Amino acid sequence: MKENFFRSMTWLHTWVGLLVCWLLFLIFFAGTLSFFKDEISFWAKPEIHQIRHQDHRVASQAKQINDVFADLQQKAPNSLSWRINMPDSRNPVLSYGYAEPKQPGQRRAPFNYTHIDPNTLEPVPEPRDTKGGGFFYRLHFDLHYIDVFTARILVCLASMFMLVALVTGVVIHKRIFKDMFSFRRNKGSRSWLDAHNVSSVLALPFHIMITYTGIITLIFMLFPYPAETVYEEGLSQMFNEALPVNKRAAPTDEHRPMVAINQVLDQIYTKYPNADISHVFVRNANTASSQIVVYLATAKEVVDNGPRYLFNGVTGQIDAQSGEDWSASAQFYDSMTALHSGRLAEPLLRWLYFLCGVAGCAMIATGCMMWAKRLRERMKPEQSAHRGLKLVETLNLATLMGLPFATCAFFIANRLLPIELAARADKEVLAFFLAWLFIAVLALFGRTQSHWRLAAWLNAVACFSIPLINAFTTEGNWISYLLTQQWALFGIDSAFICAGLMFIVQSRKIPSHDNVKEKGNLFKNRQLKEQQG
Amino acid sequence: MMELLQFSLCFLAFNCFALAKFNHFRDVFKKKLTEKQRYRFLTIGWITILLSLGLSVMSEGGYGALLFCGYMALSVLMLMILYSFTVSWVKHISAINVSVLVLSGLSVMIF
Repeated sequence: MKENFFRSMTWLHTWVGLLVCWLLFLIFFAGTLSFFKDEISFWAKPEIHQIRHQDHRVASQAKQINDVFADLQQKAPNSLSWRINMPDSRNPVLSYGYAEPKQPGQRRAPFNYTHIDPNTLEPVPEPRDTKGGGFFYRLHFDLHYIDVFTARILVCLASMFMLVALVTGVVIHKRIFKDMFSFRRNKGSRSWLDAHNVSSVLALPFHIMITYTGIITLIFMLFPYPAETVYEEGLSQMFNEALPVNKRAAPTDEHRPMVAINQVLDQIYTKYPNADISHVFVRNANTASSQIVVYLATAKEVVDNGPRYLFNGVTGQIDAQSGEDWSASAQFYDSMTALHSGRLAEPLLRWLYFLCGVAGCAMIATGCMMWAKRLRERMKPEQSAHRGLKLVETLNLATLMGLPFATCAFFIANRLLPIELAARADKEVLAFFLAWLFIAVLALFGRTQSHWRLAAWLNAVACFSIPLINAFTTEGNWISYLLTQQWALFGIDSAFICAGLMFIVQSRKIPSHDNVKEKGNLFKNRQLKEQQG
Repeated sequence: MMELLQFSLCFLAFNCFALAKFNHFRDVFKKKLTEKQRYRFLTIGWITILLSLGLSVMSEGGYGALLFCGYMALSVLMLMILYSFTVSWVKHISAINVSVLVLSGLSVMIF
């Protein structure tokens, strides 16, 4: 019974892992990069690199909001929407904008943004058109080129498979604590198993947390039926009830002047004397139905949404607030989202999240490799690989080496594509997928050690080229970022240098044909000597 | 400095857990681990890991628990590299670990 149970768990672990491992690798890879979404977006816009973080950021917010409101009153007094995004510890720029009238055929109204340096309140040049870190964030759960709903369902299913694989993995790993610090080198599939075990065990709480909370963030997509049964208008009504600050007033043409913004801010500062405001949104400006929504930062609390206040734009009275009187289930959902997104994390925790994410990628990658390696080891020399094995090996090379190469292509395209190119942001994404396709085509031609080594070299060259291209195309470089303490930019360049070094190590560790032959000859010679002796 | 203290405690705990294993102890000290030594390493390990968790949660709440998970991952990764690739460094790193632990502890107490 015990042996049967163990074998069933092993079977389940192998197959739920293998079936979705490439999709899971993409999800984990993009998710891990998304922990630095804002930093990647900042790197992708060299036009704003010279802006420094303010020393007294929170103390300056009231004046900045007043100035921006005055400007928006002049530029777009009748716009349906104003947005003010305050600078924070990760983004030094103050951005504000207004919605322009929607053209026929447009799903959403286009926004006209102005970016200013919060230190001088002077406008900064319009940053280049790029998706930046937002691309990896969306790729993480929306994938790309496929319908969003289908993509999210696929991501949900893959996450559930991952959770099953994690639980069964713990069950079948008999020596989970005994082998915790062990990695046996140069032992064939034993080394792959050790790498798989170590990368799983070292961040096991993180892997379980991130997978479970990932499913929870998309739970209403998987399981919308209770809300659809209870609420007549379904999920939207449920969310409006849970978050009344999101409830939009219907636009009206009746013109009414808006309350002075100071009156709104005074109420916020009375409640929170050191309030760190993250966003201020205005709906239906200067009409009888105008609304002002003030968002506060979450600080280090494990919540995804900080306190939000909805003010009547005409009277300045608080119409709704969130974050203080939430039900236990709403708080639980919000905390789970916060744990998953890691938006609450300060630099130390952010890097720890990143480390655990990399461990997750390593766990999935070693799992993918192990299945194929074991089959290869069991095969006789004259036996040829079956289709399934060839498919797995092709997908392994295409995904595990293709994704890092595609990421490098995205960053390189960000620097090399002409600034004035139409739909430039989409071209960066196209560069990402073309680079991935290139490695996939390489994998179709062969999956031998030479192909892996070639892919590793290509990745190494691509990784090293990013700090170099950055140095030639912008005013900063790796050294200057260190000297001027621009840690976000320095960190990204350093990460690519480290990745490049790792790919060089990888390419040197993959045995070439000559090495294999030499080793084979040595082995034969030793056998001959033993026979002669 | 509090974060350094929490991490040092966590690293020390996992180092003790590693040394409480016969193969790792033999690799580091070139002699056999006795049952008494094993018991001592495990006791110190459990005390320091609970201290690290307690300090993390007391100073940062839920955020501290997240930090603690990260400290565990980093500690295990560093120790795996140490014990698998550079086992001769373990004694030196352990001495540095204890020194950092004492200094960061004093610093937290004084300031």
